[in-house]
Amino acid sequence: MGRIKKKGQSGAAKNYITRNQAVRKLQLSLPDFRKLCIWRGIFPREPNNRKKANKSSTASTTFYYAKDIQYLLHEPLVAKFRDQKALEKKISKALGRGDVTDAARLERNAARPEKTGRPPYTLDHLVRERYPTFVDALRDLDDALSMLFLFASLPSTPAVPAKMIARCERLCLEFQHYLIVSQSLRKSFLSIKGIYYQATIQGVDILWLVPYKFNQRVVGDIDFRIMGTFVQFYMTLLKFINFKLYSGVGLVYPPKFDQSRDESAAELGAFTLEGNAAKALADAAAPAQITNGDEEKSTDPKTQAAVNKLIKQMKNTGVERQQDVVTTSTDAEDAAIDKFEPAAPGGDILPQPVHSSGDPGSLFANCTFFLSRETPRQPLEFILKAFGCKRVGWDAVLGDGAYTTDPLDPSITHQIVDRPIIQAAQEASDNQSAQKLGPNQRVPGRTYVQPQWVWDSVNDEELKRPDIYAPGAQLPPHLSPFVQSTHGGYDPTIPLEDQEPAEEALADSDEELESDADEDEEEEEEDEKATAKPAFKAIKGASADTMDVAGSEDDEDEEDGEGDETFGGFSEGGDAEEDDVEAEEEDTELQYQKELIAEMTGEPVAQKPALNPKAKAKADARKKLLAQAKEEAEDIERAKGMLSKKKRKLHEQMMYTNNKKSAEDQKLREKRRKLEKQKAKKASA
Amino acid sequence: MAPRTQLKRKASTAAAEAEAAAFSDSEFGDGVLEGVLSDDSEDEENSDDEAEDVDGQDEDLDSDEVPSEEDPDEKEDEEHDGPRYRVEKDANGGERYVYEEIDPVYDSDDSDAQDPENTIGNIPLKFYDQYPHIGYNIDGKKIMRPASGQALDALLDSIEIPKGWTGLTDPATGKPLNLSQKELELLRKIQMQEIPEEGYEQYPEYVPWFTHEEEKMPISAAPEPKRRFLPSKHEQQRIMKIVRAIREGRIQPYVPPEERDKEEDEEEEMYDLWANEEAQPPHVMHIPPPKQPPPGFDLSYKYAILLPLSAFFLPNKEEKKQWEETDPDEREKKYLPASYDALRKVPAYDTFVKESFERCLDLYLAPRVRRTRLNIDPNSLLPKLPRAEELRPFPTVGAVEYNHGSRVRSLAIDPSGEWVASGGDDGAVKFWELRSGKQVASIRISADEPVNAVKWRPGSAILTAAAGQDVYFIVPPMLDQEVQQASRAALDAGFGYATNGKTATLTSNGNRKDPPGTWARPGARLEDQGVLLKITVRADVKVINWHRRGDFLLTVSPTGQRSAVAIHTLSKHLTQIPFRKLPGLAQTAQFHPSRPLLFVALQRTIRVYDLQRQELVKAIQPGARWISSFDIHAASGDHLIVGSYDRRLLWHDLELSARPYKTMRFHPNAIRQVKYSRSFPLFADASDDGTIQLFHGRVHNDLMTDPTLVPLKQLKGHKVVNNLGVMDIDWHPTNPWLVSAGADGMCRLWA
Repeated sequence: MGRIKKKGQSGAAKNYITRNQAVRKLQLSLPDFRKLCIWRGIFPREPNNRKKANKSSTASTTFYYAKDIQYLLHEPLVAKFRDQKALEKKISKALGRGDVTDAARLERNAARPEKTGRPPYTLDHLVRERYPTFVDALRDLDDALSMLFLFASLPSTPAVPAKMIARCERLCLEFQHYLIVSQSLRKSFLSIKGIYYQATIQGVDILWLVPYKFNQRVVGDIDFRIMGTFVQFYMTLLKFINFKLYSGVGLVYPPKFDQSRDESAAELGAFTLEGNAAKALADAAAPAQITNGDEEKSTDPKTQAAVNKLIKQMKNTGVERQQDVVTTSTDAEDAAIDKFEPAAPGGDILPQPVHSSGDPGSLFANCTFFLSRETPRQPLEFILKAFGCKRVGWDAVLGDGAYTTDPLDPSITHQIVDRPIIQAAQEASDNQSAQKLGPNQRVPGRTYVQPQWVWDSVNDEELKRPDIYAPGAQLPPHLSPFVQSTHGGYDPTIPLEDQEPAEEALADSDEELESDADEDEEEEEEDEKATAKPAFKAIKGASADTMDVAGSEDDEDEEDGEGDETFGGFSEGGDAEEDDVEAEEEDTELQYQKELIAEMTGEPVAQKPALNPKAKAKADARKKLLAQAKEEAEDIERAKGMLSKKKRKLHEQMMYTNNKKSAEDQKLREKRRKLEKQKAKKASA
Repeated sequence: MAPRTQLKRKASTAAAEAEAAAFSDSEFGDGVLEGVLSDDSEDEENSDDEAEDVDGQDEDLDSDEVPSEEDPDEKEDEEHDGPRYRVEKDANGGERYVYEEIDPVYDSDDSDAQDPENTIGNIPLKFYDQYPHIGYNIDGKKIMRPASGQALDALLDSIEIPKGWTGLTDPATGKPLNLSQKELELLRKIQMQEIPEEGYEQYPEYVPWFTHEEEKMPISAAPEPKRRFLPSKHEQQRIMKIVRAIREGRIQPYVPPEERDKEEDEEEEMYDLWANEEAQPPHVMHIPPPKQPPPGFDLSYKYAILLPLSAFFLPNKEEKKQWEETDPDEREKKYLPASYDALRKVPAYDTFVKESFERCLDLYLAPRVRRTRLNIDPNSLLPKLPRAEELRPFPTVGAVEYNHGSRVRSLAIDPSGEWVASGGDDGAVKFWELRSGKQVASIRISADEPVNAVKWRPGSAILTAAAGQDVYFIVPPMLDQEVQQASRAALDAGFGYATNGKTATLTSNGNRKDPPGTWARPGARLEDQGVLLKITVRADVKVINWHRRGDFLLTVSPTGQRSAVAIHTLSKHLTQIPFRKLPGLAQTAQFHPSRPLLFVALQRTIRVYDLQRQELVKAIQPGARWISSFDIHAASGDHLIVGSYDRRLLWHDLELSARPYKTMRFHPNAIRQVKYSRSFPLFADASDDGTIQLFHGRVHNDLMTDPTLVPLKQLKGHKVVNNLGVMDIDWHPTNPWLVSAGADGMCRLWA
């Protein structure tokens, strides 16, 4: 016999610890504890049984996993926090004595303990502990990137110091540079919130959101201290990730940063990437130097000379080296996996990763872009360069670092325009247009497109037809590339016929019949239909003649079904339809009894002849469908009656969410159907 | 000295003027007089000024200058603009500027005007002896020599020597130098040999700062130590400590804070954090933060297919309004889908910062739970049921109706399946042809008591009906003569034993004990109608059940206390009470279809007794509060259905447990009767809500397989009268047909 177990000695009571207990155990203040939790990635838990975890108390508290807190006890930061607290006490004591110089000295020392000039603590070890491998860190990069990109665009306030913003901006630009060099950006999406980007680094998909370049509105009570704590960690994280990524492609980190160019809004152009000399010598395949587009202008002559020397040296050694990114990528293609074709029939087919025909990284390689001054330069520059474009020019007002600022540069192949066509200003003086272009004037031999063209091309991995995206044209819808189509879900890319379920299609065609009969009714009905199941409604609202045809058999089925539907206590909701049907039931009961008798005796039921062959066919199809649906519903109801209460609840919950989703899709399809119909009507008229 | 002269001058203003005029006329130019007057006027009051002005005008008139020049000057004078001076000719005929008088009014800068002071500097006054003036004041005006030498005045002065008179002339001013009161006092004190200064203590208290006594011996005779003449070693140590610290870099030269910040940035060392990474399996309790969902179609900046009709795809007015009206925290979506026809028209997203802040809060504040999301088809949860076709046949519709006339309490189909007997409140037992619904016979067995139960004897055409305390044995008259004959024989066989009454025993106190049942002929009237035998028991009989062989009969009279359950042997006309005492009120009882077991349903439990060994085998606990009826599965004998007044229908597997295998609660009212079909895997229950529920209940031969229970149908048709619906049901022995007895006086056949 085992020892008698005492309550509160094991299990949930020991596994969980409330927040107050944790704070007391760590001897920290609440803000310090919060900071630690954010940095260490410690989060509250929801125990299976709160009562068991909280010693039978039902007070609402936050629980932490006890071992997390235990682990925090050894955290070096805790000691740092305590030191800080002691120092603050000393300072306040000095101030209380009126000893200002002493206080100032203490405070100065706080900024550099042991007078080494170092910050009091770094978060490096936290990054390593939270993410034991590099891939782990990449997996958690979504939030970090979104937050850093947001902070990079915030105005500086006392809560958000300018230094932090500048640092965020630098880190983000460095990361963008990596994406450009490694060509690992995959998709991008213009949303109402901002621009979503997706990159794949070492097989990990990273999705982040960058706000549009506007002054961010700060509404509500937003605690920037909390966000700042997060950003502090994210900055450290991204710094190390950048380092690892840069050194992975043989670049020096941090890249050279040109303060003066940054001040003239060069952004990406303010950085000069350099090859890692030591690494380049050691690793033959590494590119010697990679600079962004306009190297002649941007590189420092000294470093250029040094690099040239290096290249010469490397050439002398007689080893073949590739110095271009593009050539290295061809090398990668050789290493790509082969396609396995089944030689003989009968074998299983194993799925293989698909290698798309065109390399997405060189989508815009042969184009020279010019951005008009009304276009958003930063995202366009980034996305174009990330997809292989080497020459991006823009209007001088958009900042420094352009390939060209001359709109008449003959090398430009594409110009991105986002302004309406002005009709009135057509007769602008022709003779002086050599210098300045008129509002609607085009340079011949150049493609003019709206910005969406870039995004749609990137997402579809092919250059889209530019005429659809011409300035002033009605743009096609911009669809999210992140949506995975599910069965039964609404997909705007597929024609309606391919995705609507049979019953919806039938309801739709039924509608058409009605609309032939009378137009006015349709409007009302459709409004109705939006709220209820269309299939059933359509039948009920159908005009008299179709009703007669379908009526007899349908109602039999319907009543049958209903009888079973209301069978148990499980469908207590009592569908609204049921009430509607009730009246009809009464009418049809007689006929139905008659039919039964006829069935028993084996006589055929007298049927009215159908009026319209087309209508009849439709009615038949609908009848069949309805009968099938009824039968299925009946079966489900019966089976549900046999489930245990718990499982039934689960089933009902699942059905609820599924129905909700499908109702939404249905609504969207409904809208589209209506739209297409109107379009067709317009075309015929 | 000055105030005195002033006073005096005031007193003799008029005289002095006259004097001066005379004087000036004779000796000097008119400008000079003006200067004198103006000099004086500074100290004098306004009245003097006025007088002076008058004088000035007089003077002007007297002057020999051109009057035309004067007029504008005067105007300027009044208007106080333009040059504040006049140009005059001096004695030598040169131009000379005469400045106007500055009137130091109350708020002028020149508030504390000092006494006129001679500005000639430190030169002997005798230089001016030949001039009428003795120097210049600060304004550059001449200081006129004070009138002196008047004989009369001198005489008067000599007679009346003023106090402090010295007889000397002040070289600075040229006025007589008189001594002040203070100086006179000082002089007096000196003369009297007093201490000139007041408050001066001539003999202050002596403070002995140094001792006056001279020491004979020095205090310390030690010679001056050497260290006084050598550099300090301690200081050397301290200096070296600092030097060492500087060399080691512990002390660094002072850097202003801004520079320090810059250094900080540059000093960040970079290294590969994941240089020697090793993958660790994630902790079991670690729950990674959920990723934010990727954007869907409705987040697109341009969602519509066609722009003019975009309203269809975007939320319409109602949806928008509904969205705006809901609380921001309760919105299903935090945004409204929108569509803009160009990228430049996309506005800023208002709640961007707020949303990322909320994400931060979620990351560190929200409790995380690991939920297994069932990403399966919900229908896969449902059990595999036999298809509806497999479940057929089962009764679905009311085929035939039998109108009993009054509330039918019980009914039964005869073993051949051709007749239905029903017993009602009117005390009559009626016989019907099953298929046609025709009434073939009606026997009124009791005048006042309702017929509580009717039951056919298995295998033969004998009906037992219970009314009150009596159980009647009826051989229905519509049967063949042969069958009737056989039945009569079976009933009469017991009369030979004549156990009735003779075996009556004595109770402990000697009274003659009431026999548990008396067997008798019911009377001539009933005998003519086919009622051949009657048993009278101690209490009202509610339930009759036959043993499968047709020899034993079970009656249950719930009010009968210990004799509630009675077993009657038809062949011997014997009545026995098997239980000395029952632990509750017996509701119903039944023989096991194959084994010698007796099932007795009490209010809450069903007790199973072994009749051979005379012991309790099992107590089944359905969990119902008041059992109304039960039935045993005929084929297996291991399954039991129990109906209860608390609306439950329970399926028991006797092998499995004493607790129900399935509980079905599909009725809103009490369940009165439950029955298995003898030939089909069906069972049904009758409820007070007027419905009969039909179930498929297949029991598998394989012990490992659970029985399949499928609800099939609700048969509605009976009306609810006085809260009573369907009172009894019975299955057809061979067909999937069901008869039911309603409180509305109707019996129905469901086929």
